[in-house]
Amino acid sequence: MALQEIQGKQISEVTSASDRISVVDFSADWCGPCKMIHPVLEKLSDEMKDKVDFYTVDVDESQQEANNFGIRGVPTMIVFLDGKEIDRMVGFRDANSLKSSLESLATAKLD
Amino acid sequence: MSRLFVPDPPGEETGSTEADVVIVGGGPAGLTAAIYTSRETLGTILLEQRQCGGLPLTTDIVENYPGFPEGITGSDLVARMKDQASRFGTEIVEFGEVERTDRENDRIVVAGSGREYQAGAVVVASGSVPKKLDVPGEEEFVGKGVSYCAVCDGPFYKDRDVAVIGCGNSGLQEGMFLLDYVRSVTFVEFLPEMTGAKILQDRLRKREGTTFLLNHALTAIEGEDFVESITVRDRETGEERKVEVSGVFIYAGFQPNTAFLQGVAELSSDGYVRTDEEMRTSAPGIFAAGDVRVKKIRQITTACSDGTIAALSASEYLRDGRSKG
Repeated sequence: MALQEIQGKQISEVTSASDRISVVDFSADWCGPCKMIHPVLEKLSDEMKDKVDFYTVDVDESQQEANNFGIRGVPTMIVFLDGKEIDRMVGFRDANSLKSSLESLATAKLD
Repeated sequence: MSRLFVPDPPGEETGSTEADVVIVGGGPAGLTAAIYTSRETLGTILLEQRQCGGLPLTTDIVENYPGFPEGITGSDLVARMKDQASRFGTEIVEFGEVERTDRENDRIVVAGSGREYQAGAVVVASGSVPKKLDVPGEEEFVGKGVSYCAVCDGPFYKDRDVAVIGCGNSGLQEGMFLLDYVRSVTFVEFLPEMTGAKILQDRLRKREGTTFLLNHALTAIEGEDFVESITVRDRETGEERKVEVSGVFIYAGFQPNTAFLQGVAELSSDGYVRTDEEMRTSAPGIFAAGDVRVKKIRQITTACSDGTIAALSASEYLRDGRSKG
């Protein structure tokens, strides 16, 4: 599944509905590192399509949810399993390091 | 003049790729070098660990780059540079970390992440990253009040009190940006005086909600789930005090990305690359440009200047049959 843009109020629904790992990226169009991470997420959403779902939320459009999730900077990526937060990454990550972190979380989920 | 080598198609995950010039780093220095080498019709590959852009990506408005009288955002400026380099044929490759640089006969090998590039000349423009202060709480509260990017995180501190650590150009510029959102900014400077541009100092002193703690050292960042306060020590009296803030923006200098040059080219004791005026390092065929160099002034304009000189020196080096270096 390609990187999907969603509203903050959909986060709970999409991350609970799947038994796979979901990554929700909180971003803004005024943030340089957010612009840097989007192509990385696009790439990984293709490479990891069999095990991880990727979503992106614009914090300006979803201020309430950004606040509810305690977002204090962008980009912040929250990793969900069964609707619950299992990991959180703040700031830019290159594709290799992000993929490696997500692979570990996906493997841990299977154990 | 035709290309000496044409880069292999992008997308290869393994094996060795040939180019005339490999540029390590896609900030202003690397992108400028790429514009020049590509216009010299040298086959140019630019390796960027992240997306292109470098430090300007984390800068709000750039007001001192000539040609933009109203200022331009850092991300727009580097996006233009990237388009310019691509237009002249630079191959921009997203790369992992460069792990190794070696000379093999008359070729220079740049390797990492299972991939390898060989070139006649290499321009190192790998820049630097914000220095961590290693004070208690810094690592723990990253993303929970500790930030190295005011542009990214400032809007989340609307009407709150924050601290900016470091009163060089970056700290003052980003502090100015923060004042559009926050209630107050406490500037903490380790040295007895601010080192940032006088115009920025003057502007900030006129703003409400600014406090300056000069000759103070940050000793701790505290809170429960999020940052709630910092502790600073007056370096003259030794007196410590707590300042209640929700955010701490750290601009305390930078450290160069030069681990892959250890033992290859001469570095300073703090890891910056030594070059001559032509941007030649101590290793023949390896040039350096931008923040990664030993130098006093680190601005976007000087990075572009370095990139220009490094590119033309690399071109001359290749043209002269590697007789110089």
